[in-house]
Amino acid sequence: MDLNFTPDEQAFREKIHAWVKENLPREISDKVRNSIRLSRDDMQRWAKILGKNGWLGWGWPKEFGGPGWNAIQKHLFEEETALAGAPRVVPFGPVMVAPVIMAFGSPEQQRRFLPGIASGEVWWSQGYSEPGSGSDLASLKTRAERRGDFYIVNGQKTWTTLGQYGDWIFCLVRTSNEGKPQTGISFLLIDMKSPGITVRPIITMDGEHEVNEVWFDNVEVPADQLIGEENKGWTYAKHLLAHERTNIADVNRAKRELERVKRVAKGEGVYDDLRFRDEIARLEVDVVALEMMVLRVLSAEKSGKQSLDVAGLLKIRGSEIQQRYTELMMLAAGPSAVPLIKEAMEAGWQAEHAAAGAFVAPLAATYFNMRKTTIYGGSNEVQRNIVAQTVLGS
Amino acid sequence: MDFNFTDDQEMLRDTVRKWVEKDYDFERRRATVKAGGFSRESWKGLADLGLTGLAVPEAQGGMGFGPVDAMVVMEELGRGLVLEPFAAVSLVAAHLLDAGRSPSAALWLEGIAQGKELVVLAQEERHSRYRLAHVETRAEHKGGNWQLNGTKTVVPAGGHAGAFIVSARTGGNVDDPAGVALFVVSRGEPGVEVKPYPTQDGAAAAELVLKGASGIELLPAGQALPALERAVDIGIAALCAEAVGAMDRLAALTVEYMNTRKQFGVPIATFQALRHRMADVKMQLELARSMSYFATLKLGEPANARRRALSQAKVQLGQSMRFVGQQCVQLHGGIGVTDEYAGSHYFKRLTVIEMTFGDTMFHLGEVSARMQDTAGVFA
Repeated sequence: MDLNFTPDEQAFREKIHAWVKENLPREISDKVRNSIRLSRDDMQRWAKILGKNGWLGWGWPKEFGGPGWNAIQKHLFEEETALAGAPRVVPFGPVMVAPVIMAFGSPEQQRRFLPGIASGEVWWSQGYSEPGSGSDLASLKTRAERRGDFYIVNGQKTWTTLGQYGDWIFCLVRTSNEGKPQTGISFLLIDMKSPGITVRPIITMDGEHEVNEVWFDNVEVPADQLIGEENKGWTYAKHLLAHERTNIADVNRAKRELERVKRVAKGEGVYDDLRFRDEIARLEVDVVALEMMVLRVLSAEKSGKQSLDVAGLLKIRGSEIQQRYTELMMLAAGPSAVPLIKEAMEAGWQAEHAAAGAFVAPLAATYFNMRKTTIYGGSNEVQRNIVAQTVLGS
Repeated sequence: MDFNFTDDQEMLRDTVRKWVEKDYDFERRRATVKAGGFSRESWKGLADLGLTGLAVPEAQGGMGFGPVDAMVVMEELGRGLVLEPFAAVSLVAAHLLDAGRSPSAALWLEGIAQGKELVVLAQEERHSRYRLAHVETRAEHKGGNWQLNGTKTVVPAGGHAGAFIVSARTGGNVDDPAGVALFVVSRGEPGVEVKPYPTQDGAAAAELVLKGASGIELLPAGQALPALERAVDIGIAALCAEAVGAMDRLAALTVEYMNTRKQFGVPIATFQALRHRMADVKMQLELARSMSYFATLKLGEPANARRRALSQAKVQLGQSMRFVGQQCVQLHGGIGVTDEYAGSHYFKRLTVIEMTFGDTMFHLGEVSARMQDTAGVFA
């Protein structure tokens, strides 16, 4: 047993560290560090910087143009970018749909779609949830009917994160009502500029436009945009979930944000309040424990000796911690977090209004925003069902 | 970065587990509890496996093994709810005797390795509440000898120990870190009174009353406290591992029970309220296991980083032990609160572990006091 990274791994980390320092634009990391809203351009600018270096698909194998890093190298890359204040890479293209295209797409589909994902040119969205299908995703009703060389798609997707920017969307659609709900689902790639697609904003309680409804009205989708076989889409989607692994815990961002909790607490004069400090201490223990759990998973992956089935635990704990650090930051600000200053989410506002508590103005909005984390990606209650099934054996 | 055990460590685990299964079943343990919480025969069993000398240097007849080996052994002893004071004697006291480097300390170490002698740390006092520098017991140098006066409390297996490592003040007021020294006090010396009693978890402990008892200086003031802190950290890491083993077994017992116990015509494992509770138990168990590894692997760090890490671990373990212990009793329903059922004994042991070497609140205070601007495993 050894807690430390090997000299090779350490050297790898330093290489990434130096590169990020050199290439991450300061305007972007300043926004990330202060919860200022990122524009489409900010997100895509960072994606293209990574893409140009071949790192937007940092989890990809070499045969598809990725760096071919092992689990530890991927983790170190994620850690160094997060700690430097890089935005979270919008995952739908490089992290979510790309592995499915690699595993189940035709060579033609791989040639057609992967380069645009790797470079950051093409923005992908995810079309899974529907108004009637949240945790019970397999009950989804959006229909795709085969007519000649096309599928005709009708229905509605919802909670489509950043769908307002999407060029393409990967969807789970119903192609059959035979048998179990899971067996009639197909995995379809759809051009969002297709006639019949309407994207409508959903404004969340923080006042932000992050998620959308996507409506499909007789949308024609060429049949060669079906991934794999018809009615096997559920299997492909499950493969995708298995690929999220430790990423889902987002422990690196938690470390960065815990440091910020301490800075905010100091700035607001509650760091030396023992009652408040103890709350930070509790969170610190939670973060260290989560990081150790992540490192255990990575070690197991690296050695290939044992499997560690804790993905559900990582999701539950990681999301709880995300909520807790936003909560503590807001509480540190206390009454200063109460005024609703919409401009505070915009870059440039802070400098002018620094005296009026600009630093803390976005904290409540961030707290409200993070309530989503225990709901999305399989609600924490669904995760507990999965964990219980593993533990109880039935 | 590697969390795999070596083949030798897996063999060590296997050896201890087999010993527990064969020679330490629950009925046998019950008999030991009834007899006061310590069995010479069981201790001999541990010695025959070489375990009493696990961390004793080879020069003193031990195996000279490291912290990860100790962790492996402790997990298995925890699983078997072993009462005998392996951590107190063979890890904590052995570390201090080794740090003392005197000829007499070396003799005690040999005795420990052979399984003939029990030496234990006697540092807790009625008012010290986990603070190692809070020492009322005094040591005075008189006529070329050290004479000790004071009372030490909850001394592990005190009634069976041949000697005690006693923290005593050679100068300063009651909280002064500078004035604390360590002495070895032999049980047979005049002025040494041992009052044994059982503890809540069925083990043996004692009050140690010193009235002008003579002691041999093990470490002088200035050197003693850093060594004592390190020894206690070794003890904390050991307790963390023991707790992981105990929680692992208790959770397994609970799973077994949930799958067999029927109410309303179905196994209670089918009820979602209970299933989610079990998922939370699994969460606390895996967080605890992660922090037990962390504790053991941080023992070699410089004092400040080590103390912070060990406190972080003890906070996690404290929370986990309380949750897993209480919820596993709850999930068993009525049978969970009986003396007859093994589960309640795991719960009691977990409760006592929390109150050994600093409880959750105490260590949370330590984490707060030692907080850095950075955060995480490598902070």
